[in-house]
Amino acid sequence: MYQSKILMAAPKKSPLLNRRIREQIIESSFFFAAITSILVMVLIFYFLIHESFSAFMEVGIFNLLFGQKWHSAGNIFGMAPIIVGSTMVTLLALIINIFVGVPLAIYLSELAGPRIRSVLKPAIELLAGVPSIVYGFLGVLILVVYLEKSFDMLTGRSILAGSILLGIMFIPALTTICEDALRAVPKEFKEGSLALGATRWQTVRRVTLPAASSGIISAVVLNVGNIIGETMAALLVVGNVARLPSPIFDVFDQSAIFTSVIAGEMGEVPHGSMHYHALFAVGFVLLVIVTVLNISADFVRAAIKKKFGEY
Amino acid sequence: MKKIKPVPLASIVVALFLLISSLYYLLIQSEEIPLVPFWMGGLLVCTVLISASALALNRNADDRTRVVWTRGRFLPLAADLVYFLAVFLLVFSGRIRPDLEFEFLGLSAVFTYDLVLPFLVLLASFLVIKDSINLLYGYSTRGREVLVFSMVRLSAVFTLLLLGGIISIILYKGIGAISWEFLTQPHFRLGQEGGISTCIEGSFWLVMGAMLISAPLGVGAAIYLNEYSKRTGLKRIVTIAVGCLNGVPSVVYGLFGLAFLVATFGISLLSGSIILGLMNLPTIILTSQEALKSVPNSLREGSVALGATKWQTVWKVVIPSALPGVLTGMIIGVARAAGETAPIMWTAVTFSATPVHMFYGVIPDVTQPVNNLCYHLLNLIYFLGAWDVETKAWGTALVLLALVLIINMVAILVRNHYRKKISW
Repeated sequence: MYQSKILMAAPKKSPLLNRRIREQIIESSFFFAAITSILVMVLIFYFLIHESFSAFMEVGIFNLLFGQKWHSAGNIFGMAPIIVGSTMVTLLALIINIFVGVPLAIYLSELAGPRIRSVLKPAIELLAGVPSIVYGFLGVLILVVYLEKSFDMLTGRSILAGSILLGIMFIPALTTICEDALRAVPKEFKEGSLALGATRWQTVRRVTLPAASSGIISAVVLNVGNIIGETMAALLVVGNVARLPSPIFDVFDQSAIFTSVIAGEMGEVPHGSMHYHALFAVGFVLLVIVTVLNISADFVRAAIKKKFGEY
Repeated sequence: MKKIKPVPLASIVVALFLLISSLYYLLIQSEEIPLVPFWMGGLLVCTVLISASALALNRNADDRTRVVWTRGRFLPLAADLVYFLAVFLLVFSGRIRPDLEFEFLGLSAVFTYDLVLPFLVLLASFLVIKDSINLLYGYSTRGREVLVFSMVRLSAVFTLLLLGGIISIILYKGIGAISWEFLTQPHFRLGQEGGISTCIEGSFWLVMGAMLISAPLGVGAAIYLNEYSKRTGLKRIVTIAVGCLNGVPSVVYGLFGLAFLVATFGISLLSGSIILGLMNLPTIILTSQEALKSVPNSLREGSVALGATKWQTVWKVVIPSALPGVLTGMIIGVARAAGETAPIMWTAVTFSATPVHMFYGVIPDVTQPVNNLCYHLLNLIYFLGAWDVETKAWGTALVLLALVLIINMVAILVRNHYRKKISW
């Protein structure tokens, strides 16, 4: 829009030509930087497909995805236990996450005074940066020990431990995005509701939350991706035993999730073995799930915005 | 309705006692609970108080303030009262004894006395508070608001205690391990002795390498997207790709590095830096884009009107104005790269103490594997049962946490400082 048209009409030729060439070079190097991320995404997909291809071929796609047993010593690779474990850990963690994270966001955006907010908000942002290995360390030394003692379990490493830890870990991430979404709701909406005689809670529930729902739901979807993809903390507390829990809803049983299987077993496998390729296949499934979640978070946001209208 | 009703208030006070004490015993899991008679007394008192205030609810009411006992109000209240009495009777009749143990639905957990009883009392205390507040406000919408908002406040307090607890316990346990030797010596005997100097060094160079890769690429991409790009199609694809990259789990980056880089560069500082750099790319692109977007168009137009070229405008006008935002993004990127373990586990690190070899004292040898704080901590966690490394592990965790939190804090301070200062 604000491209200089003067350049074209300028009489002197040589310095301006240099100038234009220089501009071209700079622009194309920026262009290269911009397409790097596309390139990286493509490369990640390429390498994961490439390395997992032989596993899918030799084990069979159906057997690999839904086989009941993951037994690396016997070269039996079926992802059903991992998928079940991941689903349970993610769902439970999400429940904990939402039940604490969303009220906290409501507190920050609606109830807290400016002074409390100015302390609390940076503190929560800060906590989003605590490295996952530190959470894992605390999980091993505190959470696992506590669960072991209070439920008299053989080992405290369990689906429950994993989901509690992951649920707590991602509270700051959820709260930050939800609070932004709640704050983006125009003041007029709330004032209109209050002026009609609604209490503050009625306003929050019937006006602010629905109006911010696009942001909140996409934050939740993104958080599902975060929880599924979290590695170090989960690796240390879920027990990393890939078998179906019996009975299937036994949250006190040890389990394995996508990331923990990869991180726990990749260090020991010989390069190029079937186990190696099977682990890449697990990574590929994880990548597909997370990518689908990410793209759908975008669509959810767009769809809900369409329904409620822009503001 | 201005009159304060003392009866529901009294039951709230009793319930708070039940809440705090049962939470305490739930947490410490003691075999003996000396408070049980008090809990039972409290439950009984609450039952009586709540029934009394429910009966007296419509006593002095005229038609306007009369509370109608709909099914939605009466049934939950009755159920709660039955629950309180049931808990009381179960304990009183000795069904819930100190030697209670039962398994349930084949779950691999045993539910014992010191878990079950505090949990039942905790639940009861929540119900008492709910009913008392409802009765206190005569089941009005105002009562509902008070109820919900006190729950919301409770969740805020809970989070704060939890997250504050995480930091203070690491500080408390880790501070004992910190000494000058710990920070300046390499570890030996599997991390049981010595310090973490090589790990700090290795982490530093990995993060530096990562920033060298991600900062130019990330800021460049953001500039292209915000300043140059006219093709909306390309812009959209790049935006989607950045969003996806942002969500790619760190362990997948590790796999990618293993397949892509280790074959070429081996397990080395270079491979690790590239992987961490690529992982940081979306963070830096997104934050830089935010910063560039906030620079008003009038500045660009002014510069172009003076005859500056596009690049001159970007370099002399846009970048300086967006610098604080861009810097914040980079600092956050540094903190993220310093705290990641999974991407470098198979691509860059080794456990045995190896100082970074330097050429001419300044240029690190990028073809060698390095030590890393996160990976060191991971190994110490694996060794916990077998060797005496717990103190060292707490110390390492403290150093790592402190580094990451300080870097993040700097980012937040920079942002807040400039947010106040700059006004267009």
